[in-house]
Amino acid sequence: MRRERGFTLVEMLVAVTIMMIVVGGVFAVFNPSQGAFQAQPEVADMQQRIRVAVTEMSDQLLMAGAGTYRTDASGPLTNVLAPIAPYRIGSTSSDDRSGTFFRTDTISVMYVPVQAAEAALAIPVAGVTGDLTIATSTGCPPGVSACGFRVGNRALVFDGSGGFDTFTVTGVQNGAMAATSNLQHGLDTLSRVYPAGARVAEVAMHTFYLKNDPATDTFQLMHYDGDRVDEALVDNVVGLRFDYFGDPAPPAILRDPSEAVGPWTSYGPKPPMTGTDSSNDSWPAGENCAFTIAGGRQVSRLATLGAGSLVPLTQAQLTDGPWCPDATSRNRFDADLLRVRKIRVTLRVQTGEKALRPPTGTLVNRPGAGRDGSRLVPDQQIKFDVTPRNVNLNR
Amino acid sequence: MAESSSSRSCSGFSLVEVLIATGLLATSLVAVAQLFAVATKANSSARTSTFATVLAQQKMEQLRELTWGFDQQNNAVSDLQTDLAVTPPSPAGGLGLSPSPARSLLDPAAGYVDYLDAAGTWIGTGTRPVAGTTYIRRWSITPLPADPANTLVLQVLVTRIRDRGTANNGAGTRLPNEARIMSIKTRKFQ
Repeated sequence: MRRERGFTLVEMLVAVTIMMIVVGGVFAVFNPSQGAFQAQPEVADMQQRIRVAVTEMSDQLLMAGAGTYRTDASGPLTNVLAPIAPYRIGSTSSDDRSGTFFRTDTISVMYVPVQAAEAALAIPVAGVTGDLTIATSTGCPPGVSACGFRVGNRALVFDGSGGFDTFTVTGVQNGAMAATSNLQHGLDTLSRVYPAGARVAEVAMHTFYLKNDPATDTFQLMHYDGDRVDEALVDNVVGLRFDYFGDPAPPAILRDPSEAVGPWTSYGPKPPMTGTDSSNDSWPAGENCAFTIAGGRQVSRLATLGAGSLVPLTQAQLTDGPWCPDATSRNRFDADLLRVRKIRVTLRVQTGEKALRPPTGTLVNRPGAGRDGSRLVPDQQIKFDVTPRNVNLNR
Repeated sequence: MAESSSSRSCSGFSLVEVLIATGLLATSLVAVAQLFAVATKANSSARTSTFATVLAQQKMEQLRELTWGFDQQNNAVSDLQTDLAVTPPSPAGGLGLSPSPARSLLDPAAGYVDYLDAAGTWIGTGTRPVAGTTYIRRWSITPLPADPANTLVLQVLVTRIRDRGTANNGAGTRLPNEARIMSIKTRKFQ
């Protein structure tokens, strides 16, 4: 009977107090835990996105400027063109064609990949839509047809005067002459014609840029392949900036342009021989965008920017000319881009969850709707430098 | 008997039983809660590793950008004056690619160390860490014994001041979260 009398008031009080303490403890632990549960996967995700962005960009930027590797014309691309540019280059929406030569959040690099297809023109190109007829006997990777060129390859053609074109190979045929092949380039018309002996090589083109579209709340690191494809690499990138550092010394003539084997310049396209004028550009005889004639000698057209170590290159320096191959060419670039030796990349990522971003302050570029301090995720920013090996052969 | 047995089974838990049960529950909850702390710590550690690696690469790229080649007369030219211990690097007043003291990867050596804050921003140099230091970045430049005039072995070690201060870890080996990278730089003919 005694057992059915229930609890005493004291027992109840003790039991309820213990219950309250335990439940209170559970809430004390779980409220912040819920914050951590929301925030930590986002933090891990942001770090993973930073790693992907750093790896993707540094891998491609590091290769910038790697040049052709067969015959006497071998050498880094800085000997013929600017392989690093602060704007978009390619077949679609190319910035250089619309007169934009600097964007802080865009970079384009070009390089000839390892084991690339490569050849020399056997005969001059007949017009800007004409096929490129390449010699398949010399200066060609052995054992492959059409020097390794296949439909779909992105290719580069240059003649050493500073002019270049890139195109996508849309057809490969046997040439009319023996030991030649014809490369067709469909929609990619050339900016000029090229003489026999001009080099044609497979090329890798990479443009990285920031898609910054508040209207659709889209902030992405984008990649463009130089042809037709723009694709998002990393989501929720809210800051991207490229800074350029260059060789303070102007280019110098290493060998007379009349010599058969280069390199003729320390960097930059070689000028024509003194007294000879290139019909493809508007510079006077013996001159080109990088070299002028002073006192009867070919000397650099570019200024000395300092001594010794690399100097920061400003937007003004990179957009004021002189232009290669000349100021009217469709594919022109500022000759100071030939100096670029180092790129500094600043990258900032945010969490995609608006509720985890603080509503104000400097912790985020894009304010969010977060209120609870235990579950706020600030932006993460990282800076890294890339010194492309192929444009730093003397370093 | 039957009534008594039935009444016993209906008697509920004793206070002691309830205490033991709640105690067990509380202990297991604390263990679960610790998982969140572990996850947070793992993320923080991953961030440290990422930063340390990027900072080490940054210094390596700075070392690689210094002139180390031949001029037109094939005389060796070397950058021995750029000061990489300050950011941005100063074109004069430093040591450039001069060989570092024997223990520069172990003990902070003037000209071969710099200090960075939690965001990876340069905040100072010198043999003692400055206030606010999170990362210590040391590097060494050693001529390759087989080709001392033309080839350098470059090493960079990034450690976190919280883990071990400026102490070296015996032979400059790295702990988890730290980054140590190595590269070879050699003169190339034009």
